[in-house]
Amino acid sequence: MSGLKKRGKDVLRWLVARSGFERAIISLASLVFAIFVGALIILVSGRFTTCSTAAFYLPFTSIGFCYDPIQIYLLLFNGALGSPFLLGEPGLLDPEWSIFNFRFGFTLKETTLLVFTGLSVAVAFRAGLFNIGTQGQLVVGALTTALTVIFVAPFVPEGTIGGLILVPLGIIAGAVGGGVYGAIPGALKAYADANEVITTIMLNFIAANIAFVLVSGVFRDPSSSVVATERIPEYARLPAVIFPAASDFAEIALIGGLLGIAGLYYLLEYTSIGYDIRTSGVQPEAAEYGGVNAKRTTVLAMTLSGALGGIGGAMWVLMETARWESSVPALGFDGITVSILAGNNPLGVLPAAFLFGVLKGGALEVAFQTDVPSDLVGVLRGLIILFVAMPEFFRMIGSHFVDLSEDEIPAQSGGEDNA
Amino acid sequence: MRENAEQNQDQELKKSLIDRFKSLSYVWQIIVGTIGVLALIGVVGLLFPASPAGDLARIIFRWSVFTQALRISAPIALAAIGGIFAEKSGVINIGLEGLLIISAFTAVLVTAMIGPAETVAFIPAIWIGFLAGVLAGVILSALFGIVCIEFKADQIIAGLAVWLIALGLAPFASTLYFGGRDTGSLGTTIGNWPIAIMLLSVLAAWVLLNHTTFGSYIRAAGENPKALDTAGVSVSRIRHAGVLLSGFFAGMGGASLSLSIGLFIGTGETMVEGRGFIAIVAYLFGNYNPVGAFGASLLFGGLDAIQIRLQQIGYGIPDTLVQTIPYIVVILVLAFVGRTRIPKAAGKHYETEE
Repeated sequence: MSGLKKRGKDVLRWLVARSGFERAIISLASLVFAIFVGALIILVSGRFTTCSTAAFYLPFTSIGFCYDPIQIYLLLFNGALGSPFLLGEPGLLDPEWSIFNFRFGFTLKETTLLVFTGLSVAVAFRAGLFNIGTQGQLVVGALTTALTVIFVAPFVPEGTIGGLILVPLGIIAGAVGGGVYGAIPGALKAYADANEVITTIMLNFIAANIAFVLVSGVFRDPSSSVVATERIPEYARLPAVIFPAASDFAEIALIGGLLGIAGLYYLLEYTSIGYDIRTSGVQPEAAEYGGVNAKRTTVLAMTLSGALGGIGGAMWVLMETARWESSVPALGFDGITVSILAGNNPLGVLPAAFLFGVLKGGALEVAFQTDVPSDLVGVLRGLIILFVAMPEFFRMIGSHFVDLSEDEIPAQSGGEDNA
Repeated sequence: MRENAEQNQDQELKKSLIDRFKSLSYVWQIIVGTIGVLALIGVVGLLFPASPAGDLARIIFRWSVFTQALRISAPIALAAIGGIFAEKSGVINIGLEGLLIISAFTAVLVTAMIGPAETVAFIPAIWIGFLAGVLAGVILSALFGIVCIEFKADQIIAGLAVWLIALGLAPFASTLYFGGRDTGSLGTTIGNWPIAIMLLSVLAAWVLLNHTTFGSYIRAAGENPKALDTAGVSVSRIRHAGVLLSGFFAGMGGASLSLSIGLFIGTGETMVEGRGFIAIVAYLFGNYNPVGAFGASLLFGGLDAIQIRLQQIGYGIPDTLVQTIPYIVVILVLAFVGRTRIPKAAGKHYETEE
């Protein structure tokens, strides 16, 4: 018994020593805790609505709640995959379920977009910069993408050849637009010492307002009831090949996202630029002493971050909406959660983006089938960040079960373990 | 020759004016600068009454625009005062925006639940709602304090989390109770009360921070926590108090914001629209002085009030574009003016030595 406990302790100590593992565990635990708090919120929200029969009773009492959180979460995770499981039926698996279904396509589409915004936030965080402005950079990138494609389209041949020209052009336009917009707070931070948290948040508002004015005043599609540009031609869109077209999920965009992850990982770990970014993030003074041009690195990291956010905007236009419209989803803010969940490591961005994509896809299904609003994901987004921000919380919980601070104790005083 | 000498003299006068301006203390620089700009607009407006400057002058020197500016600046100033207490005690509260959102929503929610026309123990429902909003701000700030002080979370990330939680929770709860992200009008407001609440808070905060023992503890917790610890005062307790005060003042700000028009808007970035972040810049601009923060907030409120009046006169500028001005001003202030010294120990955890 004591041997087992000791081994468990060793394993835990080993895990804690590995900061990467520790991060992953903290991320996972944060997710679990956020989901648990989310369950409490669902319970409480069940008291606000009216229902004839309670779905859940508080144990040992007769206090009823309209929603059973476990049911809601089952619905959420099942829904995100397109309902492969028949909940509450005798047969567990739905024989008619196919992985290439509409809802799972939606989940993967969200995953793809979150990969780009997550990478955007991650590269800035690695340089020690809190880029909260991915949202604004995405808005600007989406606008430059849409306008570039609309203006160039008449000059290129229609069909596949046109698509092969317009799609890369649109992505480059998005990267440039987002990159320039990201460079602004970078330069303000480097040369005027303006706090990037505040400037990027202000730039989010400025981007949304100016894009709105530009589109409603100059580039508006008069036939549209909302403020939006004209649509880009069908052949300039990224198409869904295997998944249903209605899901707006272009498989090639996800492949592009994977390449982005690999590329950024390589850049950060194996190039001198990456070295500059990482060291100025961890130890700015040491980096400067070691010959890193801190100002240049700051602008560079923010430009790169903005370009990735801009590509996210390009993907949103090319894959989902086919135009710029004023109701831009909060993908940039979700990117903060994705990056923090991933420990700001590009390789972690993929699972984090997928998890968050599942939450978003599933929440829509939940909102569709029950009265629980899909804004639930917005709450979870903040809760996850809150829990990841306090590793100490988990260390305290961990040390409640296993004393991690205690070092190897010589055998003669080992009697305590048997108690 | 003579012309040259005159020019020289002129230049010297100019130089000495700039020098004199530079030698002023920071807060006075802002005051003198603002009065200077206002006077310039006034003079130009008097000389050319038909020009846009004339319109601008007529707007600025108008009582209704001034009270409007005060009303708009109330949530910003109250949040800024809250931010001062937190940051002076050593906890950077970047989650002010979240505190404003949650208190603005809770104030409307509770008023609606009681019934806007009802009274409870002779207190009108709207004031119960106001108190509930303040309480919501205090509760959320207490959570933030525990996370930052007890669990040693990164203050910036925890502050962002507070903002994002509120940004999700308010529309979520609004959809549940009101059937949409916007609550719809209560049919009643608290009118100009926020102005009085703000002015009283500025005064109270100034006295509390600069002329009480508690205020000196707050300042010590942010500047030199070790000295405070040595003196036998618990640093974490003082920091908790600072954070709770930030929730109290920001809570009043949020409740003022929604109840002054009698509804809550939860679409997009909610009706708070960055006021919490503007408040941070306002207190940096005001150099952590409640009076200075009030002045800076009035500047932002004034910009907004002028913009609203310009719309009413019928200038053909898109209002969305004019609403962007405060955000740009915030960036300019941060980049070119805001050279404040933040408290030495702000953002750092303090470990009690045993």
